[in-house]
Amino acid sequence: MALSPFGSRSPAVTVASPNSALRLKAAAAAPQNASASTSTIIRSDPNPERELAEQLNDDIRRKYVKGKKLGEGTYAIVYLGNYRDDPSSLVAIKKIKVNAEYKDGLTMDAIREVKYLQELSHRNIIALHDVFSSKDQNLNLVLEFLPGGDLEMLIKDGDIHYGAADIKAWMGMLARGVWFCHENFVLHRDIKPNNLLIGADGEVKLADFGLARSFADPYLNMTHQVITRWYRPPELLFGARQYSGAVDVWSMGMVFAELLLRVPLLAGMSDLDQITKICEAFGTPTEENWPGVTQLPNYVTDKVVPLQGRDFFLRQFPTAGPVGADLLMSMCVLDPRKRATALQVLQHRWWTTEPRPTNNEDLPRKSGTKKMGDDLARVGGETDEGLFKNAARQLDFGGKK
Amino acid sequence: MIEDDFYRASSQYRLWSYTETSLRSIRNATNQIASDRVRAALRRAREQHLSSTTSAAVESQSEGATEEKNIECLTPDEELVLVRYYCEKTVELGETYRPPLPTNVRATAIQYLRRFYLTNSPMTYHPKSIMACALFVATKTDNHYMSLRQFAEGIPGDTTPEDVITPEFLLMQGLRFTFDVRHPFRGLEGGVMELSAIAQGQGAAAPHLPHHTSDSLKRGILSLAPPPVACASIHDRIGRAHSATRELLKSAAQMTDAYFLYTPSQIWLAALLVADRPLAEFYLDTKLGGPLDSTNVGADASSHLQNPLYELRTKLSKVLMDCAALLQSYTPLSSDPAQMKSLKRIAKKLYHCQNPEKVNLKRDVAAPRLNPAVDSATPMSESETERLVKKRKTESQQIQQEGHSVFGPELVPDRTKH
Repeated sequence: MALSPFGSRSPAVTVASPNSALRLKAAAAAPQNASASTSTIIRSDPNPERELAEQLNDDIRRKYVKGKKLGEGTYAIVYLGNYRDDPSSLVAIKKIKVNAEYKDGLTMDAIREVKYLQELSHRNIIALHDVFSSKDQNLNLVLEFLPGGDLEMLIKDGDIHYGAADIKAWMGMLARGVWFCHENFVLHRDIKPNNLLIGADGEVKLADFGLARSFADPYLNMTHQVITRWYRPPELLFGARQYSGAVDVWSMGMVFAELLLRVPLLAGMSDLDQITKICEAFGTPTEENWPGVTQLPNYVTDKVVPLQGRDFFLRQFPTAGPVGADLLMSMCVLDPRKRATALQVLQHRWWTTEPRPTNNEDLPRKSGTKKMGDDLARVGGETDEGLFKNAARQLDFGGKK
Repeated sequence: MIEDDFYRASSQYRLWSYTETSLRSIRNATNQIASDRVRAALRRAREQHLSSTTSAAVESQSEGATEEKNIECLTPDEELVLVRYYCEKTVELGETYRPPLPTNVRATAIQYLRRFYLTNSPMTYHPKSIMACALFVATKTDNHYMSLRQFAEGIPGDTTPEDVITPEFLLMQGLRFTFDVRHPFRGLEGGVMELSAIAQGQGAAAPHLPHHTSDSLKRGILSLAPPPVACASIHDRIGRAHSATRELLKSAAQMTDAYFLYTPSQIWLAALLVADRPLAEFYLDTKLGGPLDSTNVGADASSHLQNPLYELRTKLSKVLMDCAALLQSYTPLSSDPAQMKSLKRIAKKLYHCQNPEKVNLKRDVAAPRLNPAVDSATPMSESETERLVKKRKTESQQIQQEGHSVFGPELVPDRTKH
């Protein structure tokens, strides 16, 4: 490299629009004038030290103002924030902490969450408005602000009374969110009450996509170490490596039952105990009711409990009414191939049977800003109690044939 | 909601779809910014040098001004050739793993590189240092997880895990934190399944074309004009078309601007057209009817009047022909001596216009946490500049000794000439 010294001449830099994204668009829109518009971009660069990609990032970062901390977990800190040009418009900013123990770059939870939320735009899925990096190379997710806490909080709060119409409203919103994921070939794989957040208008939003993945191509394996144990379907407990949206439907069924009972339906102490509890509740999976089940890697049987019929669900869940009990039963079928799909759930008669679902503005609610902070700061599979901290953490990330 | 709506909600459509003209202007803008910054950085490097050798300052001032004019930066087209070369190398790198990395992962990595270099220039960040990272990130985003250590060990040469991971954040920022890439592979598999079903007499009529039956569809596929290569049976024909299309999707579709300009289904249909045109036209006929629909031809001279989708079909044909032409325009760099020659010229040019302030990624772009002591804003010192020159010499000697590596033969054999 030649290093002949020479005198400095300051470049002709003038400052115009600070918004490089707009300028980029302008450049794209005026192709016949490309040389002129590109020179505008350079001349107007307020910070000539920045690449175009960095300028685009700065533009996004400047759109928001970070406020007080809402919650903090091992992997993330959640802040309240707002749009710079509209202070009344609130957002939650989730700053992903650098995981010092993880040397392989951005963690899988963060990658999954960002990847899927960037693609899924639906009323019942938490909205990801933007992603930007801050100076210290931390990832910041700008999420929809949901001050209503989560479903777990409502279930656990004895002072809150709710009925079948309220449950129908909540379940309807959950089912629409799950259907949308599946329609986009995405499995959520961690549906449970504290991942179902509530907006200021009462709308339920599916959150925490840290364990999500897209449907595998046929015959390719996935990991079975997903979904918090109480909400985990029998095929995953038996170690199935090929599965479908039916896993999320089972979790939805467990949430439905929990909303009705106000306690978790099947609170297993271990994976084995979870299988036992499923068998006791619904019956033992056998070749007869589930062809092929005995071939699954972790299939175990103890004593064979006969399959529960419709009367069991009617008796156990009187608040749901007979049609509601039917729907729940269709979500809790042991054989995933016979279990209802998210679409079938939405097409069920229960939604159009009395009582009508409660309107959002009349739903029981409570303020849960702090709860949102905690929920978002958590990562997939982690619970408040730390009970399952390791269950879903031990992912082997599938894919190995 | 129809499928098109789902696609329009995707980040691939929202952020990464362009027209040919908008694509060109973005590349021009990126190139312009990078060129100006390269010139400024080289000037700073010289000023640094100047301040340490003050005695020579006055007389060399005019000399310096001339020198600045002589810095020739890459053109947007040259940058594109260089990026394409490293995309081809990405395929080869994926092949070196045991088992080889899946096609999807490699294709995602290539699209990451292509997207990254829309707003970043190879003059700023050499593709050589970004490529391995793009492939590693693709293993994470496409569910083919392996540890960084394991990944780095699979790279021929002495690439360290740190070399691979250092540009990760930079890459992700260039990707605007969108990781999902919609590929045409799955669509092709679906189309082939449908064609096979038709050949077996199990085809179903499309909703708009109720006059089709399984039998009429089967007769249709059996009476098609012959394929480009003679086939023993219709199943043989579908099989050949399948693999020829897949090859195009793995190569031409990745190395051209196809993903920026067309949707995944347009891409695989266009590739099928290239592979076996009568078969592809037939497939479209089963969906949209059209001028070539054999059940319509002859019934009425103006058969398109009977097909309400005629206009759509005609429009689609035009798009597919354009996309097919783009796919056919591709020849691999490595198999084309003329292109290789021009690539070597570009690589040599890049050697002179590489931004000296971004050469050391670990120092210049790594997260502060990886490198807390260094302030990346500090201009390069003279000793640093000289160190860099030495390093380059050593590197080029090393590479010459190593001969053919996975990154290909050395592009500029006599880098140290001047």
